[in-house]
Amino acid sequence: MIQYVKKTYYLVPLLLGISGCNQFLDVNVTPNNPTAVTPGVLLPTVEAGTAFANANELNRFGSVLVQQLAGAANTPAATDIYNTTGSDFGNQWRFELYGGALINAQKVIELGDANSGKAYSGIGKILKAYAFSMATDVWGDVPYSQALQGEAYPQPRLDKQEDIYKGNASLGIQSLFDLVRDGLKDLDATSPLKPGNDDLAYKGDLTKWKQAGNTLLLKLANTISVKEPELAKSVINEVLTRNVYIKTNADDLNMPFGASVGSRDPRYEYTVVSSFKDDIILSTRYLTLLQGLNDPRLPKFFTKPAANYVTVDNGFRGTLPQPVANWSRYNTYVTGANGEGPVRLLTNFQRAFILAESALTLGTPGDPQTLYTEGIRASMTAAGLSTLEIDAYLTANPKVATLSGTTQEKLAQIITQKYIAFTGNGIELWNDYRRTGYPVLQNSQNAAGINGTRPVRAVYVTQEQERNPNFPKPGPQTNVPVWWDAN
Amino acid sequence: MLSWLFSWVLCLPLLAQDIAISGRVTSSDDGVGLPGVSIQVKGTTRGTTTDANGTYKFNAPGGATLVFSYIGYASQEIAVGNRNTINVTLSPGTQSLDEIVVTAQGIERDKRSLGYSTQEVSGALVSQRSEPNLLNALQGKLAGVQITGSSGAPGASTNINIRGITSFNGSNQPLIVVDGIIFSNDVNNTNNTLFGTQPSNRLADINPENIESLNVLKGPAAAALYGSRASAGAIIITTKSGRNQNNKTEVTISSSYNVQNVYGLPRFQNDYGQGANNLFNPTSTNSWGPAFSSISSVTNTQGQVVPYQAYPNNIRDFFQQGVLLQNTANIAGGDATRNFIVSLGNTSQKGITPNTRFVRTNVQIGGETKLANGLKVTGTATFAQTIQRGIPGGNGGSAFGQLTRIPRSYNLPNEPYQDPITGRSIYFSPSINNPNWSLYNETLNSQVDRFFGNFTVGYDVTKWLNVMYRATGDAYVDRRKFIESLGAARAPQGQVIQDNFFRSELNGDLIISAKTDKLFLEGLTANLLLGNNINQRKFQNATVNGESLTIPNYFNVNNASVFTNSGESSELRRLVGYYGQLSLGYNNYLFLELTGRADQSSTLPQANNLYFYPSASVSFVPTDAFKLQSDILSYAKIRASIARVGRDADPYLLNSVYTKATFGNNVASITFPLSVGGNSIPGFGISSRIGNSNLTPEFVTSAEVGLNIGLFNNRIGIDAAYFDSRSTNQIFNVAVSPSSGYDTRTTNVGELRNRGFELVLSATPVRGRGFKWDLALNMTVIRNNVASIIEGVTQSPISGNAFVGINPSIAVGYPYGVVIGTANARVQSTNPTGAYYDATGQYAGQFVVNGTTGAFAAGIAGTVIANIQPKYTAGLTNTFSYKGVNLSVLVDVKQGGQLYSFGSVDQRQVGALYMTGIDRDQPRILPGVIATQNADGTFTYKPNNIQIPAQTYWAGLGGLASEGAVYDATAYRLREVSLSYTLPKGLLTKSPFGTISVGLSGRNLFFYAPGFFGDPEINTQGAGNIQGLDLNGAPNTRNYGVNVRLTL
Repeated sequence: MIQYVKKTYYLVPLLLGISGCNQFLDVNVTPNNPTAVTPGVLLPTVEAGTAFANANELNRFGSVLVQQLAGAANTPAATDIYNTTGSDFGNQWRFELYGGALINAQKVIELGDANSGKAYSGIGKILKAYAFSMATDVWGDVPYSQALQGEAYPQPRLDKQEDIYKGNASLGIQSLFDLVRDGLKDLDATSPLKPGNDDLAYKGDLTKWKQAGNTLLLKLANTISVKEPELAKSVINEVLTRNVYIKTNADDLNMPFGASVGSRDPRYEYTVVSSFKDDIILSTRYLTLLQGLNDPRLPKFFTKPAANYVTVDNGFRGTLPQPVANWSRYNTYVTGANGEGPVRLLTNFQRAFILAESALTLGTPGDPQTLYTEGIRASMTAAGLSTLEIDAYLTANPKVATLSGTTQEKLAQIITQKYIAFTGNGIELWNDYRRTGYPVLQNSQNAAGINGTRPVRAVYVTQEQERNPNFPKPGPQTNVPVWWDAN
Repeated sequence: MLSWLFSWVLCLPLLAQDIAISGRVTSSDDGVGLPGVSIQVKGTTRGTTTDANGTYKFNAPGGATLVFSYIGYASQEIAVGNRNTINVTLSPGTQSLDEIVVTAQGIERDKRSLGYSTQEVSGALVSQRSEPNLLNALQGKLAGVQITGSSGAPGASTNINIRGITSFNGSNQPLIVVDGIIFSNDVNNTNNTLFGTQPSNRLADINPENIESLNVLKGPAAAALYGSRASAGAIIITTKSGRNQNNKTEVTISSSYNVQNVYGLPRFQNDYGQGANNLFNPTSTNSWGPAFSSISSVTNTQGQVVPYQAYPNNIRDFFQQGVLLQNTANIAGGDATRNFIVSLGNTSQKGITPNTRFVRTNVQIGGETKLANGLKVTGTATFAQTIQRGIPGGNGGSAFGQLTRIPRSYNLPNEPYQDPITGRSIYFSPSINNPNWSLYNETLNSQVDRFFGNFTVGYDVTKWLNVMYRATGDAYVDRRKFIESLGAARAPQGQVIQDNFFRSELNGDLIISAKTDKLFLEGLTANLLLGNNINQRKFQNATVNGESLTIPNYFNVNNASVFTNSGESSELRRLVGYYGQLSLGYNNYLFLELTGRADQSSTLPQANNLYFYPSASVSFVPTDAFKLQSDILSYAKIRASIARVGRDADPYLLNSVYTKATFGNNVASITFPLSVGGNSIPGFGISSRIGNSNLTPEFVTSAEVGLNIGLFNNRIGIDAAYFDSRSTNQIFNVAVSPSSGYDTRTTNVGELRNRGFELVLSATPVRGRGFKWDLALNMTVIRNNVASIIEGVTQSPISGNAFVGINPSIAVGYPYGVVIGTANARVQSTNPTGAYYDATGQYAGQFVVNGTTGAFAAGIAGTVIANIQPKYTAGLTNTFSYKGVNLSVLVDVKQGGQLYSFGSVDQRQVGALYMTGIDRDQPRILPGVIATQNADGTFTYKPNNIQIPAQTYWAGLGGLASEGAVYDATAYRLREVSLSYTLPKGLLTKSPFGTISVGLSGRNLFFYAPGFFGDPEINTQGAGNIQGLDLNGAPNTRNYGVNVRLTL
């Protein structure tokens, strides 16, 4: 009998699973991903993501539409004859804006509030407002007040662009201005948890973030200034009174990238590296403009591998110049020497041009000419020109240096200089062009699109239309201006 | 309690008295002894087989019933009584309707008692088939089963679905069980599946030569005892053993040599060369250049003046002849209770493109014995090594991605492709890689080392009670290296990925079975089985992704300087199951079976992790019950079953998590940590999927009715089944609006329905004078329908990689896996407020053409444009045998279903296809009508009459992301031919050989696909839920060769 008893032990380990079931089965906590983080690991994602969204395909789109670049192949070639579809910018909408910079800005705000890190909340709100302004400027009415709330609103409603910019209390919509103002308030609050190196742009310098936030108010006001001059004027006056805004190039909200694979500015990637690098080339029309103005920034902005600049006219559909190695492409001012960028989101020259424009058209404080010159100088300095070179240029080119003629002619001068200064930021270029009509551009060759018109908005992305019944079907076409595009 | 039971039963004396029985089994045809007839004591695994003369001798319990079965003959059951000599004459039957089959949990059952559908395949039907992948060798042979290869690249994975698709998100591949071992058939991907590298499905680690038999358990009722994972059916594989050796040790050697050639390339035009708009352009990928007759020479991008002429075989000659060499040797001996087998196998394949190989080596040992104390011990252990070398990519900047964009005038096979100094690609266009260069410089290597085995201890406690414990294990490591040389389009600065996978699964099953031949009344038999299963699955993927290489042709991660895409991911899941089965039989003509299983899974929330599901099945044999047998009707059986199977979630779906952040795609991308200004900055983001802590299990409920009929002494056999299954409560990552900040949320949703009809018809139209003609037909019709998803959601993409605007999806009212993309605008007569309404209906369904350009009007995104599910599939095998000669011919058809093809669109758009060369100088008109909008908003239509040039026309039919890329995938195919000759025994009596047979075999010898330019059986993304996309992958092959099998 003893041996039988022994044998019964053999079964015991086999049945252990039954008795210790709960422990045995308690293995469903993922070892692969964190389920909780601090705002510091999300902030770089928001900063780089906002810059990436600005500089990646939306820059190609904007820069081709305003004819700084010409589209040689693929999506940019379609853009160049004004064709665009709902599948063109799905990634930008889904992964760069809403599912990238925006949702993580939202998380930075929530985690900042929860972790005694109001400084994070403040930066989060400023960048959230910036990224939302890109979305509404490109697409018009977009999900805003109900967006970024996951399961609470799996299919957020569309808010009117007017409500996004101005707010609408009855619909519970906070204006972009108030969102930035909230952010500025957070930056003034006590914040034991503060950013440092995780803040790519300013390394935790909150004063600079306050300057950036106020400058963002100027940009937003400037964007709606044609449609809502009084509101624009009051916001600009508010900022001028507070007197905390970007005043030197060192204060610019520039997002830096790195030189190694996977860290590089997207404009470097699609200009120098990727298999889509031959999609774009310097536009013949932009070359003509810069050469006509003797602009010394031309070689800083674009390369000249051969004896002459090699360009293509917008909408050109013939055989492309060969070899591609000789094409004129973005130079280091835009891409950095090896992909470092930076992406210029809010700049000193921009602030000066905005104030010049509003002094001219809205009567806000300041002298348009002084501010205009300040803008040109700031841009040229950023492009690496010395004071002597700048002085020499302005002296030699009085037609550029001096505002003259009617208000419209002066405005054209201001916006043209802003257009040149913002080379590499297609969204800003396209915004200004739609708002003011400057610089005056001729249609592309072979223009198709909607009755041959240059798009004044992007069509809604396919995935959002498929998944969100709140979206109109069909959505507005590319020839329907957005709300602030009132001229 | 159980241990108490165990010690108690050990104390019981053995009651049964064995008696010695001998006899001879002969064929009714010619009275000759039949060798290798299986003789089994009914309801047990005891038995023997006849020797070469058909005689046998063994000890059986008194009062036992013996089952005599032999392939191709009707089985017989004979009660021993007190006899010592039993001679049996077996009659040929095309289908042995009373076969013993291996069902769930390895339980051997008399097929007549089953109330559900199974289909067996003998090992002979998958061996020596010019094909190393077992699943491919099964194509066309099974009803209700759809098997689709992904390409002819060596080792490419093969997809299998049984009775349609039953889960939105989970694996729809059946459970594979090899000798009781739950066997992983996963596909592990190193690349995004859009990149087209095709690693094997891991069933490829099995040597088809080693398979004794294979049984397909089709519905949930059949597989219910396996639980959750068999809700997509199960394939039970039994490998060869020494069981039937009759105490004789025998060596079997089989060898085959096959060649493979690319097959199914489209026909090309050879009148026009490189360029566009009738102008030569040396960097163009198009063949819209001038006619060859118009100019004689051109200057290429290297500055050389070269003849301007067609190279008709420039694509065909990119390929080489592949070679497939298979050798297997077995040594087996013993008898039904004590036996062994040792098997060695090697398969070596040289692919149809240079630098590709597939090498598989298998070593298996197995055996069983009965110890003196009555314990029965069985075990097998197998080591398998599978090597895939040089797996090329597809799509975009890869070898096969460029192959569809080669001008007709480019002499691809003979042009240099690599700069000898820099190692970089040389091609007519500097921004593209030469396909020949890609074959050597953008490749994936994989080496799988796998070990699997089982160990079973069983004990007949009494005549009626058996206790058995089975432990099985299956583990492998797959060590991979993926390289992109400097200058590769996908990684211009080079890349080396060291990618290691580990997967293991352990199962322990305790099975207690009790049986009686007389429960309450005479003729009522009962089997009761109780079981417990403990399961653990582990997975790990560790990746070192080295980017930015310094030294050319040095493929080691220490040559890289950026590692941000490296990482590790692990999974652990466990499950405890309890199951039971009660089988009742009445007078061998009425059967009832009830099963139940409760699973407790680690992957579900604790509150919902225990779930129970039952099944019931009935089988009734009226021919026996009412003594209806006649010369015409020999057998009839009707069966019905209903079953429910629960299924758990994948691990780690309950929480939302944060993931390392990345932005961008192949235009530009960044990956954290960013290296900025000398600092490495980490960055995370909230994952795009919203977790759900309230998940509940998903269920498949299936009902089935079936009929088996044998006619004319079973010379005609019919097995028909109709099933209806509903999958509910699906665990799915359902799409949310991107502006919610997320992409998907995990939740229980929806309903998926599969209805289908299966028919297996077997017949022996001619038999006699040594000649026999057998035919076997199988046919499958399945209608799959997504009945609902969740309120407010009518379509949602299937998890996996997809191109923007080409989404394999679920859509309400459509079959699973439809492709959602941009449809051409059409005139419609159903919706007066919709676009392009035509009240007259005259133009309804026609394409709308832009009245200015003559091109199609803007398409409608978000529309279902392709349905990949076929209308029906069928396979017909004709086998002719005369004396030792055996010829088997399999034709199959896949009718309907669509294919989304990048390759064909490319070749049409670039002007390479034959039809693009016809009347190229003549203008063409796109089919459709021009719509003019009237003042009141209505439309007036007129047939399109706008002439456009040929180049515009062929491009205008539609680009990659359009309806124009959708083709009918119907194909009729001569799938398999095999001819073998077995030498007469008489010739061998003085030789050391027992048997010798030689043969010829061929696969995919011919196909006809009326709706497509090439072979539509292509599936670039490999096995998985996303099917039906040809994203410029490797083409298919035609294989044929010789084989020999001999025994010593």
